[in-house]
Amino acid sequence: MTTTIRERERRTGWMLIIPAMLVLAFVYAYPIARSFWLSLFTENLGTQLQPVFSGLNNYGRMIQDGRFWQTIANTMVFTISTLVLELILGMGIALVLNQAFKGRGAVRTIAIIPWALPTALIATTWAWIFNDQFGVVNDILLRLGIIDTGINWLGNPAPAMLSVIIADVWKTTSFVAILLLAGLQSISNDLYEAHSIDGASPWQSFRQITLPLLMPQILIASLFRFAQAFGIFDLIQVMTGGGPGGATETVSIYIYATVMRYLDFGYGAALVVVTFVLLVAVVALAAFFLSKLRTATTGDA
Amino acid sequence: MNSSQPSSQPIHQFRRFLAKWLSYRRNLVGMAITIALGIILYAKIALTQQPIQLNVMMSALDAAQAQSVVQRFEEQNPNIQVNLIEGPNATNLVEDLYTSSFLLGDSPYDLIAMDVVWLPKFAAASWLIDLPDRIPEEELTDFLPADLEGGRYEGRLYRLPYRTDAGMLYYRSDLLEEAGLEPPETFEDLLTASRTIQEAGGATWGYVWQGRQYEGLAAMFMEVLAGAGGYWINPETLEVGLDQPEAIEAINFLRSTVGEGVSPPGVTTYQEEEARRLFQGGNSVFMRNWPYAFPLGNSEDSPIQGRFGIKPMVHAAGETGAGCIGGWGLGISNTTAHPDEALEVVRFFASEEAQKLMALENGYLPTRESLYSDPDILEQYPYYSGLLEVVQNGVLRPPVAQYAQASDILQRYLSSALTGRTSPEEAMQLAANETRILLGRS
Repeated sequence: MTTTIRERERRTGWMLIIPAMLVLAFVYAYPIARSFWLSLFTENLGTQLQPVFSGLNNYGRMIQDGRFWQTIANTMVFTISTLVLELILGMGIALVLNQAFKGRGAVRTIAIIPWALPTALIATTWAWIFNDQFGVVNDILLRLGIIDTGINWLGNPAPAMLSVIIADVWKTTSFVAILLLAGLQSISNDLYEAHSIDGASPWQSFRQITLPLLMPQILIASLFRFAQAFGIFDLIQVMTGGGPGGATETVSIYIYATVMRYLDFGYGAALVVVTFVLLVAVVALAAFFLSKLRTATTGDA
Repeated sequence: MNSSQPSSQPIHQFRRFLAKWLSYRRNLVGMAITIALGIILYAKIALTQQPIQLNVMMSALDAAQAQSVVQRFEEQNPNIQVNLIEGPNATNLVEDLYTSSFLLGDSPYDLIAMDVVWLPKFAAASWLIDLPDRIPEEELTDFLPADLEGGRYEGRLYRLPYRTDAGMLYYRSDLLEEAGLEPPETFEDLLTASRTIQEAGGATWGYVWQGRQYEGLAAMFMEVLAGAGGYWINPETLEVGLDQPEAIEAINFLRSTVGEGVSPPGVTTYQEEEARRLFQGGNSVFMRNWPYAFPLGNSEDSPIQGRFGIKPMVHAAGETGAGCIGGWGLGISNTTAHPDEALEVVRFFASEEAQKLMALENGYLPTRESLYSDPDILEQYPYYSGLLEVVQNGVLRPPVAQYAQASDILQRYLSSALTGRTSPEEAMQLAANETRILLGRS
């Protein structure tokens, strides 16, 4: 009986964690493993929806699939643009909401509303806002004399992508802002006071105190947003349906079409697996930076 | 009394209580069984007297328009009740709803109202029951050949069409007459006539069509391709003809319409309505469109009222013009409990009586040749007589199970060839390759 307290604690720890692990295994590991298994088969209308083992055929087909690469590119453009815009705007909003002013509580509550509304509803609204005939955006631009004829926002590739990015930024910035606000509140005011006594300008304080101390929250917010934006479906499906001509088609929408419209289950599964691997790679990278950061700020691994 | 067994008394009491309770309960059980049987019997009687319910989903607009046909059917068949379930107005969403209901199993629909391009997919997925041979052959002879063929998959009939649609050429008869020209037959005729009239100032544009990347592009291209003597996919051999010279010729014709200033550059973003607005506004000599544009162009407030005609699509010299067939029909779901009754509905919707009703009430194009000479219909729509030639020359989009995918591949590459991002040869080579991979032919 040489079990140390530490060992016993460890064992208890495992016991406590096993139920959660089992749930994770059922909810995440099983579907992914099954998708991978299915991706080794050809199961589509050509095979009367019967699975026929075809090895890595689906993956080979993906390499030649121009549409897949276009959707990856679209997804990256969407993800990176929304991420950057949301971080910048979210930071601005968080800084404002962190100041003491009258009615701050009310403003904080209002700021979260876009994020709390159902996406399909917001997407429908934005589709009308960008409508070429009756849209508010065209109306404002026409009245200001910036354009002569209405822009067909959702009907042309680049404007359509811009439109869905704007809609997503509008909806999700508040989420980023709230995350960053929580981080800001954990930074002691003493630091700023001491810094300003040392003669630092507000900009210097922001650069040298706020940003470094807020880095964990920024990374977590980026991580959340990256994972969500990479899998974006509802907003774009409702606003443009992936159009015009696939210009706003993201990976999720392509997977949906492959499975639901084409009934190409094997190939759809292969698309899921590749997207999953890409996503995990990025998240692992971010998690790695996060843990390094933790080590740097707290000295504890 | 039995004081010698004081302890047994409570036991006796208990036994008696138990026996009594048990017999009481037995009665109760008996009663419950009787009542349950009664209810079942009653329900059975009630149900057999109730009409059989058949469900079918259509887009909300189509469902509203089908109401009167259903009414008449129910009058003639009091034992069958058809429930029209309203789906979304976008037909691709209706297809998605049907698809998910079948994928999840136990679809609630007995009948399926199908667009002609869904049929191969639904049939290949074995979601449909093929229509039994009980439909007499002579009942099928009146149907337009392409429309009937659109209901077949691998030789079996799954759908009877009740409404057709076909692409065709609209031309401004007044402008052609002024210029002393006949309606064009070939691609070249159309370009020449357009340029002549454009130069004379008759109209800004010569020809408007649908060039946007969407299903309508595939339908429009199908006509030009068939008119050039080419093919997209041979449904029997699954050979792909997109990289053949005829397909390149078809693309070159479309590109030349823009290149020679006959079509507006924006035509590659047009759907049906953009084209119709230009044509109806008097800004174009020719237009490729579906029949719906005819009554609109002839309405009271239309600037071109009575000044245009229709004819089959133009074609290459030595070929014939082809119209891409669209349209709707009913099939029977494999989950139905009442296939015989469902068949009655399918036949009624395709019958002369129902199609005439739909033509008169909703302006649907019938799928039966005889109705194009029906005096009542011609009185209301005199132009239907000219439509017969168009619908008789109908071509089907390839009836392969993976049509939706094949169409998306074609649309992508065709659009990039039409907008000049890729050369026609390269685009069609890529499209043909991807289609071959899709069909498992490489």
